[in-house]
Formats: sequence, C-alpha cells, structure tokens
Amino acid sequence: MAGAEPPESFDALAGDLARYQAAHSEGFARLCRARGVDLAAMTSADAIPPVPTDAFKLTRVSTFALEETTKTFRTSGTTMGARGEHFFRDVTTYEAAALAFGRHWLARDLTARVPVIVLGPSPAEAADSSLVHMCASFVQELGVPAPPDETFLIDADGVLDLATFDERVANALAQNQPMLVLGTSFAFVHFIDGLGQDTFRLPAGSRVMQTGGYKGRSREVPADVLRSDLARAFGLDRRAIVAEYGMTELSSQFYEQTLFEPAAPLGRYAEPPWARVVPVDPETLAPVLDGAVGIAKIIDLMNVDSAVAVLTQDQVRRVGGGFELLGRAPGAVPRGCSIAIEELLGR
Amino acid sequence: MKRSVAERIADVRRLQHAARTAADDRATLVPAIVASTGLSTEGVELALRRHLELDATDEELTRLVERAGEVSRVSVVLSANVFVGALRALAMARAASSDVVVRPSRRDPVFAQALVAAAVAAGDRGLRLDDALEVAAVEVGEIHVYGRDDTIADVRARARVRVRGHGSGMGVAWVSEGAELAAAARALAEDIVVFDQRGCLSPRIAFVHGADARALAFGDALHAELERQARFVPRGSLPAEERAAAERYIATMTYACRALVGSQHAIGIAPPGAPLVLPPSYRHLHLAGCVSLAACAALLAPLAKGVVTVGSDDPAAARALAPPGARLAALGAMQRPRLDGPVDLREDA
Repeated sequence: MAGAEPPESFDALAGDLARYQAAHSEGFARLCRARGVDLAAMTSADAIPPVPTDAFKLTRVSTFALEETTKTFRTSGTTMGARGEHFFRDVTTYEAAALAFGRHWLARDLTARVPVIVLGPSPAEAADSSLVHMCASFVQELGVPAPPDETFLIDADGVLDLATFDERVANALAQNQPMLVLGTSFAFVHFIDGLGQDTFRLPAGSRVMQTGGYKGRSREVPADVLRSDLARAFGLDRRAIVAEYGMTELSSQFYEQTLFEPAAPLGRYAEPPWARVVPVDPETLAPVLDGAVGIAKIIDLMNVDSAVAVLTQDQVRRVGGGFELLGRAPGAVPRGCSIAIEELLGR
Repeated sequence: MKRSVAERIADVRRLQHAARTAADDRATLVPAIVASTGLSTEGVELALRRHLELDATDEELTRLVERAGEVSRVSVVLSANVFVGALRALAMARAASSDVVVRPSRRDPVFAQALVAAAVAAGDRGLRLDDALEVAAVEVGEIHVYGRDDTIADVRARARVRVRGHGSGMGVAWVSEGAELAAAARALAEDIVVFDQRGCLSPRIAFVHGADARALAFGDALHAELERQARFVPRGSLPAEERAAAERYIATMTYACRALVGSQHAIGIAPPGAPLVLPPSYRHLHLAGCVSLAACAALLAPLAKGVVTVGSDDPAAARALAPPGARLAALGAMQRPRLDGPVDLREDA
C-alpha cells in the first residue's frame, strides 16, 4: 500500500469532493463564500476551508437528506449538552478504509485469523460509536469466530470481564495463536490499575491497539507511561503497543508504524493515501512550516458525504513523513473574569 | 476593635471617595491601564466614567456590609479581572475588616495600586499593599481571592485560613417578545462593548423570544449597533489565542447557520434548537431564537453553572431564567450591578 500512486492526484480528488459538498451542503457553500474560496479554480487541497469539529455538534454536516441516513456516529463527550454527529448513508466505504489501513499497521503479517479482543462495549451497547464500529469490523474480518460476550469485554456499566479475557488468552496460548487486543486508553488504565504489579502475558506475536483520550473516565497517564505499563503487563515489546488516532468526525484513522517499521519512532503516526494531516496556524489556517506545531487540519477523502476538510482542536507536527500528536490545543483563556469554556466544563 | 455598621459603611464610602480621586488623575491612570489591560483608551475612559461604582445608597452598602461579614483581617489576592472591580473587592474587604492587605494582580496592578494609594493618602490606616503577600503565610482572618477557577483552587490548597473565592462567569440576555429590537440591540451592545466583554457579567449568549426571523432581525440590529459603538469605543488589542478562537467560532457559525462579522465583533446566530456554544469574549455573542422561556431554560441548563447575571427588558422573564443567585439586570445595565456585595451572588443563594 505504501508508495502506491492513486489513480488521480490527492488534490484533484479533494477538489472534486469539495465542489460536490459545496453543491449539496448549504453550510459548506456558505463557508467557502465567507472565506473567499473559488472552488472552481481551486487546485490544492490546502485551499479547502476546513469545517471545525464544533459544527458537527450544532448542525447536520452532510450532503444528503436525513431520511437517507443509515448510520449515525456520535462523539462520546457531551460538551455543554451537545454531541457531535456524523451521518452516513453508506458505511461500506468507511469500513473498507478502516479495515485496509488497520490491517496494514496492525495485522499485515498475520496469515490466519487470530483471537481479537475489544476492551470496549459491543456494537449492540454502543451502536453510535465509530470506534466500536471499527473494532467490530476488525473482529469480523481478522478474528476467529467468537460470540460477542467473549469479544467485547466491557459491559454497559463499564465493568471489564477479566475472567473471559483470561480464558481467551489461555486458549490462544494453548493454540499458539497471537492475539489482537483493541481498546481505549481509559479502558487500559482501568485494566492496569486492576492488575497492579501482576502480569497478564499474551501469546507471542500479540499486539495491542490503544486509542483515544481519557475524557475524565480514568486517571490520565502519559502516552509513554501507558505504553510501558501495557508492554510490561502483557509481556510484549513496547513496539507492539500501537497507538491509533481517529475521531468521530472523520472516516479515516492514523496509526503508529512501530509494529512493522523497525526505524519508525514511537509517537509518529502514518496517514493512509486517502487522508492528509496538515498542521495549520490556528488563526490564519495557513499551513505552518514543516516541523512547526499547528492545529490539525485533516483532509479526509473518505468523508465523501460530510466534510472533506475538518479542523480539529489537536496540535500536531509533521515529522519524517508522518505526524506527531501533541495533545489538544489549549483553549483561549480570556483575560479578566469572563468564563472560559474549559472552566465551564470543569464545574 | 469592633466597628458598627455605620462605621463600616463610612470606611467603604471613604474608599469610594479614594476611587474618585484616583480616577480623576486620568492623564496618568488611563495610559497605564491601557498598557496593562490591552483595552483601548476609549474603553478605559468608558469604564472609569460609567462603571466605577462610586454611587451607592446606604441600603446597598448595608447589604454589602452584611454580606462581607466581619473578620480580624482580610488578605485580598486580586487577578487581572476588569480593572474597576478592584473597588468592589476592596470595599468587600474593608467592610469586613479594619485590617486589609492587598496583593494586586501582577499583570494588571495599576488601578488597585492607585486606589490603595489614594485611600492611604486620604487617611485610611486599615488598608495596605503587599506585592509579596504569600497566601500560605496568612495566619489570621480570611483570604479573598479573585481569579480563574484554577487560581482559586491553588490558593485554597495552600491557605491555612478561610478562603472566599470569586471566580469567573458570564452574563446571558433575554430579549422578550415585547422588546423593541433596535432599543434592545443598543442596550445589549453597551453591555458587550464595555471591558471588551472580559467581565464575569459580560453577556456572551443572548436569546430572542419568537420565531427565527426575529432572532435574525435582532442579530442585524445588534450587528449594526456594535459597529456603530466601535467607532466611539474601539476594541482593544486581541491576543493571538483569542484571534484563533474567534476564527474558529466564526467558521463554525458560518457553517451551522449564520455569522455576522463586523470590524471588531462577531455575532453567531444558532440554528433553531441547536445546543449552545460559548463564544470567545472580546465582543463575540452567540444568539439563539427561542419559542418559549422553557425552551430557553432547557438550552441554558448545561451552562447554568457559569451564569452570574441575566439581563432582560422583561424582569419577570429574567427572574424565571436566572439560576439561583444570579443577578438580574436591565439590558444596558448588566455591567453596572449595585454595590451591595460581591458581583457574583451565587454563593449566597
């Protein structure tokens, strides 16, 4: 996959999508006009005005009618009573892209199906979670058949079924099968906290995908500490702990390359050929110089029916053909006693 | 020595007199405040002219004294709040004690220093500055701390005496069904312009009762009024992170519904029924149409903890909408609360 040339250039495809979205989304057309962007003449994806993720909380970011919706993913946080929503009329493209890139960085060496465990709820319990949906796709395509209650090991109350996890690990060890364990950072922190200094060794060749922030659901642990803790607990090399970066408002995901690229540094994420992460100046939205920190503007060609360019609140830096994730951009703290959004959310 | 209520009121009045004296030295004071706050010269002049709380009735000051309580000493830790707020902070402290120590904001010390200097010059022996005041070393009385939530939490964690924290907040406005839109827009614009919306009473969100078209009409009227008022009271300098937040807010609202972007302000008009967004300060207002007070209250609920004041042309509606303890005000007077206690009365509720 790496190095393969798409049949059309990335910029041409992005431009086509932007024109399509402007023609079918009043909001995006309005944004283009306000930014003075001439889509007809546009030749670079960098010129596409990004839709801030906040917009997904306020309105329908979509090119199609409500009744055509077959799937809605929602953000987990309820920022001031609002959850961001991403509507799909067809998730097959989403699934194909997620699986292709996920397989590339998590499972390309596997020659047979392996036990896949998700430290998260099942799709039945979290039908609107894009992460759960993606994990379910991985289970379906990469996993040995197993019932949902032996696969998705966190119940609706957030309780981890450690006994089943233990049982599946024992079976995998007996059959000498590597495992794929998928989960959120906070689920892994709860797991580590429950484990204490004990270990929970996975079969040789196993790998772990961890993703997401904490959102107040567990204590926060620096990424390198979590990686070390997981490696110790599971008896794996640190490079077998692979971080994934994604968000509900996107249809593409990004992965660390540590499992298959011996020289790839920890903390550097790779983009699929159909997505590009551009650090931009938060005020002008112009790309920053290579190596400088900016806000992630993500051009996602899989966001066919929503927003081809999305403005996140995450800080990133381009490095060595990938990017580093540097955490959420600090919100503006107004001088004076006017309340800031972070304060309001913290109360 | 215990003071009577009348003596305590007299001490507060002496402080008000000192504030008047300090404010009269415009030639020295205004450029220094402009430099430390980033407000425009006209913005500082406006604040001194209309928002320095020099007038108060005996009844209001009696209330302030009651709310202040009485302690042996008050150590006041000021932050870079709206600069005229130093008067209320010191009035509360002086009402509570004959022994007040003040640590001005390091970033914005000008008015507090001038006020204390004028008070001391006028013979107030109960007030002194201590730029090096260390909260952990305070052993008597109480600490009054003004600032952001994390500042207050930090002081609480280190203090050995009682801490009264005065944090951040915001104002919301309700434009009633009967309001004359142009007049309401003019009044609300005044509330937005002063202090460049950096006060905890500054309106950040406004609701317009009625159909969406009425909210749009009000938005247009407010847009024009903010543009007009900016000619007389220009906005001060905008920090880079605020410019970024403003750009993001404007892009979000442009996509979601409508953004009215002026030379020194922006108004985001929310899609019908959409959850609220807190816009940045520095003359940004989020405007939502609401078909009823109940619908408005439901929208406001997730933000209610931050609401310090509700302004409206309809006092009954403001009362219905206000979270417990929030001040009520007429539009145009949201930034001029009576000197009857701290700005934020929610602690008393």
